[in-house]
Amino acid sequence: MSIVQLQNIRKVYDTKVAVEDLSFTIEPGTMFGLLGPNGSGKTSSIRMMIGITVPDSGSVSLFDRPFTRSVLGRVGYLPEERGLYKKMNVLDQLTFLGQLHGLTASVASRRATLWCERLDIAEAIPKKTEDLSKGMQQKIQFIAALLHDPDLILMDEPFSGLDPVNAFLLMSTLVDLCSIGKAVIFSTHRMDQVEKFCNSIALIHHGHLVLSGSMREIKSGYPRNRVLIHFEGDDAFLQHPCVESLLRYNGHAEIRLRPSPTLADDAQSLLTQAIRHARVTRFEVMEPTLEEIFIEKVQKTLPVKNGGKLSMAQLEKSVGDEIDA
Amino acid sequence: MHNVWLIARREYVERIRTRGFLITTVMIPLIMFGFIYGTAFVNSKSEPGAHIAIVSSDTQLVLDLQSQLQPHLSASPAQTPSATRPHFSVDAMDIGPDTRSTLDRELASGDIDGYLWITPTVAPTRRPTFTFTPRSNDQDYLRSTLAAALGAVLMREQLAHRGIVASEVDAMLQPVDIRTTHAPRRQDRESSQVSVFILFFLMYMVIMLYGMNVARSIIEEKTSRIFEIMLATIRPEEMMAGKILGVGSVGLTQVGIWLSAALLLSAGSVAAHIGGQGIHVVLTAAQVIYFFVYFILGYAFYSSIAAGLGAMTNSEQELQQLNLFLVLPLIACFATLMSVLTYPDSTMARVLALIPPFTPLLMYLRVSLGHPSPWDVALSILLTSISIYAIVWVSSRIYRVGVLMYGKRPTLPELLRWLKYS
Repeated sequence: MSIVQLQNIRKVYDTKVAVEDLSFTIEPGTMFGLLGPNGSGKTSSIRMMIGITVPDSGSVSLFDRPFTRSVLGRVGYLPEERGLYKKMNVLDQLTFLGQLHGLTASVASRRATLWCERLDIAEAIPKKTEDLSKGMQQKIQFIAALLHDPDLILMDEPFSGLDPVNAFLLMSTLVDLCSIGKAVIFSTHRMDQVEKFCNSIALIHHGHLVLSGSMREIKSGYPRNRVLIHFEGDDAFLQHPCVESLLRYNGHAEIRLRPSPTLADDAQSLLTQAIRHARVTRFEVMEPTLEEIFIEKVQKTLPVKNGGKLSMAQLEKSVGDEIDA
Repeated sequence: MHNVWLIARREYVERIRTRGFLITTVMIPLIMFGFIYGTAFVNSKSEPGAHIAIVSSDTQLVLDLQSQLQPHLSASPAQTPSATRPHFSVDAMDIGPDTRSTLDRELASGDIDGYLWITPTVAPTRRPTFTFTPRSNDQDYLRSTLAAALGAVLMREQLAHRGIVASEVDAMLQPVDIRTTHAPRRQDRESSQVSVFILFFLMYMVIMLYGMNVARSIIEEKTSRIFEIMLATIRPEEMMAGKILGVGSVGLTQVGIWLSAALLLSAGSVAAHIGGQGIHVVLTAAQVIYFFVYFILGYAFYSSIAAGLGAMTNSEQELQQLNLFLVLPLIACFATLMSVLTYPDSTMARVLALIPPFTPLLMYLRVSLGHPSPWDVALSILLTSISIYAIVWVSSRIYRVGVLMYGKRPTLPELLRWLKYS
């Protein structure tokens, strides 16, 4: 059975195409990463999964049935735009939101207390929301999305603005939920988070699906042709014939190997050469990172509108800006 | 339905708890009483009274005029001072060479409010010429009072001239006293008009206040972005309905508090004590029921417009610009208030009261003070209900799309497109 199934959904706002021909399936127990730069259609897709907006064409199925609002009790949603009633106290607020999801007042307030304790914010329970810090408010919303024990958890940029400790706390909570069979979807533009936690992903760009599937499948489709080497001394070995291109930094280099059927042997020969001339402190042969795959895919399928090819530096810069913002 | 109830309850509880609710509950009656008694007070202080001078060589005429205009000074029983009669003080002056210039000077300095110049005619049978010079043109009542007094004096003189005894003259000139009696049901028409007016004013204020509150609470939810969580569980229509019901119940609670306070006060005759004579709250059960019926209709009408406006805008400032749509019809009601109050059964009143934006306020006035046919009442409720349905439909469409839109305010063509979105 599948928790979410999108088939060829399309959404147009006035003149802007937000999502175009998007399809993917999410199984139970999956940690699913929905990736893409800002404005690529992540939030629009999530909103369509839970009926906040309706796709112009295509179909959405949740829990193996065409979408109806009656399944919303099994869905937990943390929107990207955070918001709570400022004047309400935390327990009332969580109880109210729990009731909207079909819990009784007593169950909702009991679970709210338990969750607050689990996420280390028990002292916030009697306070008014406006008196809490941003991070605490974010945790309250996180709890609000999980209070009714949903089978499908949708989190739109759940970790933005959180410190590493809290981000890790929330992430491990999600991993726990995932391990007991809940499906978790989270959207982000941080490829590193996805690489670490997700077992399945969808990459979207300008509303189009660029890449989807399980992490392992995607990665295995790419050769292990990236070499990271940290060294001291002579760098003459970098002239090795199997090196296609490289980025040279102070003390280390990122190398892309020339495509060949004997890639693993090439890497070994490069290492032998390096040891002969320099002192190697680290040597790693890897698949391309998700980020590189993404860039490659985007360049291949959708040349950037301004004519020029999207360079690595440009993209890194734009991703960096997004993180800063 | 359960969700609507949850939303409404939250809205109600959170609002009742605020200090703002307590303040408006106390302040609005105070402001209203201040307004009503303030105007009554100002009116009583500005009762027409005047200081005038009469210039004539005919001493008898002047004396008669004086006693006619200053009844409180004369002992004559024929002229009992009435409460509404202006208080005159009248100076008599002889014609001298500089009389006119002295009078003009006094007029300019405000010592007198006007002078009456009586020029005797040559022929004894002809009436003298009367010239009145008021200080300002807006004192029209002075001229008419003087004319009436002069008429009475001259009539008395003529009658005396024909040999009729003074006491008979007085008896003849005794003003006719029309005593007004009412059908039993309308006994307290005067004070009921006041109560109805107070209720009208109350309805106007509460509809305006709480309509704006609906719009503001929608904007608040947009700025705090909470609605996105809500929309993940409930329909926009449910959310809007819950808001309107919740905020409206707060308004009803408030009106309920005021009305029961008013009833308590008038029952304990405290109102009569505070208001002096003339004003006390007299309402029939039907008037109260109609008040609530039309209050609910009016509130539903205006708050659904407000909900639509709130959904279109992103901030209070933007809302202020669109406020016009909400306030203008209410102001228009106020503009027609006087004519409907005076002639509640005129054709104009009938037509106006059937136009949905005006129905709640004006039909309520007609029902309370006039005799609208049951058809009129039924038709007004029907028309308003239909238009409320239409407005709720449009507003909820706007709400559904508008609530998820940030950024610029939509243009009219965009709004029309929103209506087509499902």
